[in-house]
Amino acid sequence: MSGDIRSEGNSNYELQQSVSTWTAFCATLKRDLLIAFKRRNDLLNPVMFFLIVVSLFPLGVSPDPMELTRISAGVVWVSALLASMLSLDNLYRADYEDGSLEQLLLSPQPLYFLVLAKNIAHWLISGLPVVILSPLLAYMLYLPAEAYTTMVLTLLIGTPVLSLFGSIGVALTVGLGSRGLILAVIVLPLTTPVLIIGAKAVTDVMFGVPLASHFALLGAILALALVMSPLASAAALRISVN
Amino acid sequence: MTTNLQNSVFSSPSPSIAAQPLLQARQLFCERDERILFSGLDFELFAGQLMQVMGSNGSGKTSLLRILCGLNDHFEGDILWRGEPASEQREQYLASLLYIGHRAGVNRILTPRENLRWSAALHSPVDDHRIEAALARVGLRAYEDIPCRNLSAGQTQRVALARLLISQAILWVLDEPFTTLDVQGVKDLELLLAEHVAAGGSVLLTTHHQLSVSCEVGRLNLDEMRRLS
Amino acid sequence: MWLWFSKLGSPRWFYELSSKWLPWLYALMFVMLGVGLVWALLFVPADYQQGQTIRIMYVHVPVASISLACFPLMAIAGTITLVWKMKLADMVAKSVAPIGAWFTGLALASGAIWGDQIWGTWWAWDARLTSLLIQFFLFVGVIALRSAIESPDAAAKACAVLAIVGAINVPIIKYSVEWWNTLHQPASSISFDAVAPNPPEIWVPLVIMILAVYVFFAISLILRTRNEILQRERRAQWVMDLVARDQQK
Repeated sequence: MSGDIRSEGNSNYELQQSVSTWTAFCATLKRDLLIAFKRRNDLLNPVMFFLIVVSLFPLGVSPDPMELTRISAGVVWVSALLASMLSLDNLYRADYEDGSLEQLLLSPQPLYFLVLAKNIAHWLISGLPVVILSPLLAYMLYLPAEAYTTMVLTLLIGTPVLSLFGSIGVALTVGLGSRGLILAVIVLPLTTPVLIIGAKAVTDVMFGVPLASHFALLGAILALALVMSPLASAAALRISVN
Repeated sequence: MTTNLQNSVFSSPSPSIAAQPLLQARQLFCERDERILFSGLDFELFAGQLMQVMGSNGSGKTSLLRILCGLNDHFEGDILWRGEPASEQREQYLASLLYIGHRAGVNRILTPRENLRWSAALHSPVDDHRIEAALARVGLRAYEDIPCRNLSAGQTQRVALARLLISQAILWVLDEPFTTLDVQGVKDLELLLAEHVAAGGSVLLTTHHQLSVSCEVGRLNLDEMRRLS
Repeated sequence: MWLWFSKLGSPRWFYELSSKWLPWLYALMFVMLGVGLVWALLFVPADYQQGQTIRIMYVHVPVASISLACFPLMAIAGTITLVWKMKLADMVAKSVAPIGAWFTGLALASGAIWGDQIWGTWWAWDARLTSLLIQFFLFVGVIALRSAIESPDAAAKACAVLAIVGAINVPIIKYSVEWWNTLHQPASSISFDAVAPNPPEIWVPLVIMILAVYVFFAISLILRTRNEILQRERRAQWVMDLVARDQQK
């Protein structure tokens, strides 16, 4: 069959190839979203976790509005980071156990795009709800009104990076019988730049500091993560399935 | 068999090299946990051939199949696909290959239809009629839209085997495909294998089950290999 | 070139060569360490701002500079492991991780002692200390991953991937921490940077100390790698011969 296609000329073959890569990408994205929506209860967990962690801070620190305002940006960002960590485990676990991961690796399509599809699905399931819920939590922490847009925007750029970096860690540890906290130990240090820049942008906007460099840096990290981290995840998956 | 080959659905790139083996392993060496599984292993698999890999438990049958598919790279030696190193034409090689391992690759939450749709899309998408026909052929008519967690182990294996029917791959690599199948399932699969071989396809499989198929069965015995080396 | 490269990949060749090198390295290290330490501790004039505390610099700077070199080194070794499947590269990568963690820990500790004298606190979220701390976490991650994966081959490759990802991240972390810190609070005007434009009697002993500690690092790395070689090649004939010869002595 492949012989027929090749004989029609190289450009046609390449076109055909990229069309089927796109199909495989969409199918993988659709599949992961479908699985998530069939397990609606699990879908709520990252969001609930986010909500609970954020509400622990007023309890643990102080209910004083002044104090909460000061820490609000950091609290929302740290909680988003932890919520994204919590949901990472589902990313390749089930696929590893039922053998779907082997099928993924044996697809003739570039693994980069298939991994990217899975990461995007993970972000849509766990990152986006956190972003959407964040204004409510910011309100509960007395974040000043002028910082809302910045907070949502930085989370919107930053949480995909968390999914992409997290994916590398999950891919490296998916074959381990007992992982415990190793995933967090591996992934959290990698995510510190995003946390630093994201939380700082929200704090800075409260003090009227211009924000251009914050978004430039976050955008640069996202671009780098989009290019590099699916490659690293793909390599890690091949190692884990070996 | 030669007549079958001529109107086979699998056209090889050029007819002049039809006598060339489809898949060829040269001097394979594999060591696991400081134990040599096989060394100096050579074999050839031609189009229209069924080969059964034999060997006792732990003799490296699964490792061999995974090495040939490129899932395992703890080996030395060469794997040639249509005479060229498989690693240099990964895309074409994988497009011609279908692997079903111990773990069926069937998601428990999705239905058989959804599972097959994804499996097909990873290679080349097929329309729903073919998926329904494939599921009917493996005896899962009316189970198309039931979540796979509600299916029995044998039925789950049948979902995996339905992939053989919607695939265009010329080479099937099957690791213990008969486990958990009932008597009828075993017969159906044997028929399917014979049909594939008759149409010019190749099969490489491991099983402890006594194959009764209408075609010739090549054998590769890992235990004997080890004794000789 | 290629021949040399593949020869270098042979653990046995490395083991035998390093046996010849080690005495020289030891001698070099003791001489330089002796000269450097005596000079730095006894003869360097006290700093007009920091007083005697400046002498901590002669330990802190060499240790910190090596801890920064460890991650790139681990990533290079990892790349060689992944691309050329060279066994020796992974043995080096495995040996670097704990040494790197130790050096980072030492840099943090010496920084803390210095901070206690200058800032009046053991720990400050200073840009340099913070990025060292995060780098320490990265080392811990690599070591944890190595010990969690049972198969040595899979562990080698997995750690190589993590080391490469980490090495790409280290400059980003360093840059973002500096950026965060300088905007956060005016950087403490007193830091080791103040030493740079100083006269030779201050920086020459520093260079000697840096070189001495580098040699010490090289020796530790070689010793660890030799251990790793013996461990992994314990079934090889040359290792058995070696052990037999040792027992005869």
